[in-house]
Amino acid sequence: MNEEVKKRNPELIEKSKQVVREAFEKYDPDKCAITWTGGKDSTTNLWIIRQVCLEENIDLPQVITIDEGDAFPEITDFLVTISKKWHIDLKWLCNFNVLKCCQSHLGNDIQVKDLDERNQAELKRIEFEFESFPFEAESYAGNHLMKTVVLNKFIEESNTELLFMALRRDEQVARKEDEYFTHHEAGYLMPEHTRVSPILHFTERDIWENIKLHNIPYCPLYKLGYRSLGARTASNPGEVGIPAWEQDLENTPERAGRRQDKEKAMERLRKLGYM
Amino acid sequence: MKNVIFLTIDALRKDVLGCYGNKDELTPFIDSLQDKCIKFTNAQSTGPYTQASFPGILTSSYYLEYGRQKKCSPKRTLISEVLKKSGITTAAFHSNPYLCDYFGWNRGWDIFYDSMQDEVSDTVPYIKGDGINHKVDQWLSSYIKNDNYRPFFLWTHYMDIHEPYIPAREYLDKVDPSIDLSEDEMLILFKGIILKRDISNQEIVKLLKKLYDAEVRETDDYVKEFFKILEKYGVLKDSVIIITADHGDEFGEHNSLSHDGKMYSELINSPLLIYSNNRTSVKVYDKLVSHIDISPTIIYLFGLEPLKEFKGHSLLPLENYPQKGIFGEAIGKTSSHEKETDKPIYFYQEDDLKIIYREDDQSWEMYDLNRDPQELNNLINTSAKSEDMKKKLIPQINRWQ
Repeated sequence: MNEEVKKRNPELIEKSKQVVREAFEKYDPDKCAITWTGGKDSTTNLWIIRQVCLEENIDLPQVITIDEGDAFPEITDFLVTISKKWHIDLKWLCNFNVLKCCQSHLGNDIQVKDLDERNQAELKRIEFEFESFPFEAESYAGNHLMKTVVLNKFIEESNTELLFMALRRDEQVARKEDEYFTHHEAGYLMPEHTRVSPILHFTERDIWENIKLHNIPYCPLYKLGYRSLGARTASNPGEVGIPAWEQDLENTPERAGRRQDKEKAMERLRKLGYM
Repeated sequence: MKNVIFLTIDALRKDVLGCYGNKDELTPFIDSLQDKCIKFTNAQSTGPYTQASFPGILTSSYYLEYGRQKKCSPKRTLISEVLKKSGITTAAFHSNPYLCDYFGWNRGWDIFYDSMQDEVSDTVPYIKGDGINHKVDQWLSSYIKNDNYRPFFLWTHYMDIHEPYIPAREYLDKVDPSIDLSEDEMLILFKGIILKRDISNQEIVKLLKKLYDAEVRETDDYVKEFFKILEKYGVLKDSVIIITADHGDEFGEHNSLSHDGKMYSELINSPLLIYSNNRTSVKVYDKLVSHIDISPTIIYLFGLEPLKEFKGHSLLPLENYPQKGIFGEAIGKTSSHEKETDKPIYFYQEDDLKIIYREDDQSWEMYDLNRDPQELNNLINTSAKSEDMKKKLIPQINRWQ
């Protein structure tokens, strides 16, 4: 690890910690929740928040993870192991109604009419107009039901006011709101809440340098070449066999291995009238 | 060596530009450039929609060259790949989902921004021109400070004119202040009229054209802002700028809306300008040219050897440009989406004569664009030239057999 990293890293962490402290000044930790996927970003994020809690003697807010029904076993194992190690009472969230409708089987068709009222209303909200769709966590309808809806329901039922996220600025090239805190107004089926991303200023490289410097645990899939972990069937390694941190992070896309790109393209084409 | 900047505008009809004769003042800035331009008055796209036209533009090859594929075939050579290999920096900024990373258009670019990682609005699913300009500004601001500054090839594409037509109020006022439509109402027109290709109400079609015109007016401002950015970083004087559209848009001219698989002028006749700061008066070039010639022209501007993979011919120097017939092909889709069962459509043009073959119903059409610019009078059964023209198109149709 070179000198520059050793100098830069504490500044990055201090900035994140400031954001976390500010969050706890504004919001009761009981009204906060931390999202954790088991990926490198959200694990780093959780590690930082946990440090602040230990330093300031604050109870760690509720940590949640979403089971999309298509998780890598390596990720699930990682979440279980680290929860134990860090004494975290992890809450697993899942849209069981959707899983029931496809017998938890990937690729099985889900008939919209078989879904419960809330899920049907949610599909209407995103103007999904088909009668059925195959169960895939990162398809247009699947992504919405398995992630967005689950998260919204949790926020609503637990009266969460602040959600800790692990977005990074360099991942979202032209983010207009370049702010750590973003407020989400209430809307139809959407509860009002605020999101905060303490590691917004970290780059992919910073994340890895920080993980190495502080021995933060990471899922072994990154060692096999995965750069970004989503649903199992929708993620592919960047370069097979080359650990993520040894790849050309600056000049190749982090999420190229994720099928979400295809889904996003399809979704936009649909909105342009092409589907 | 100069930089080459390539600006493409989605769905921009040639006949809305003032410099091509429109009197509605929709493009004051682009019109003001023409004194420093070579203006091509007879340039054709290789196809009537993005997937069919961009292979011609960026790979100098035709749409069906490598079979029907949704993705850009690895067998195609992108202009960016050629330039990058020659040590020229290549940068792309656009927001057209059909040209994104997933569809394989990211090859050969040092910088490739396709906006797919960014959030877009629910109603208008692309980054608007100001957002694209912002990306270009950010990139140039760091690029010009680079110690090993090299000439660059910059491609920028604006989506703003593409439906849904939801122009900002400010621009709608410039076109017709009496139009009183909310964004929701414009979206209803998109879903209820454009997507259904419903031209039964002429008044509504006229209204849609006005919304479209307002988007054109808006885009002209983005082009203006783009040139300001180039000037700010001092690159305008050292650059040749090529401006064109990938295809046009239809407002009932041939019984439909938007841009489907047809080969009429409202869809394939493109504006084409080559801007150079040291030119002092407009040079009008009225011979027939094609988008297939754009990539070879860029190769020429960078002083590189012509590429045998490219089907076109450099437009420059003008005196060496051969007079030739031009060709294009697409899938003859009749709605916004290409269906597996839709069959190809082809055209071939020589001077003012254009012949079209639609495989679906094996129909032929031929038009004299000089006498019948609206392409309403099919000459295929009456013209003495029909057989000769068919003979020229048939080898293209049968080229894989």
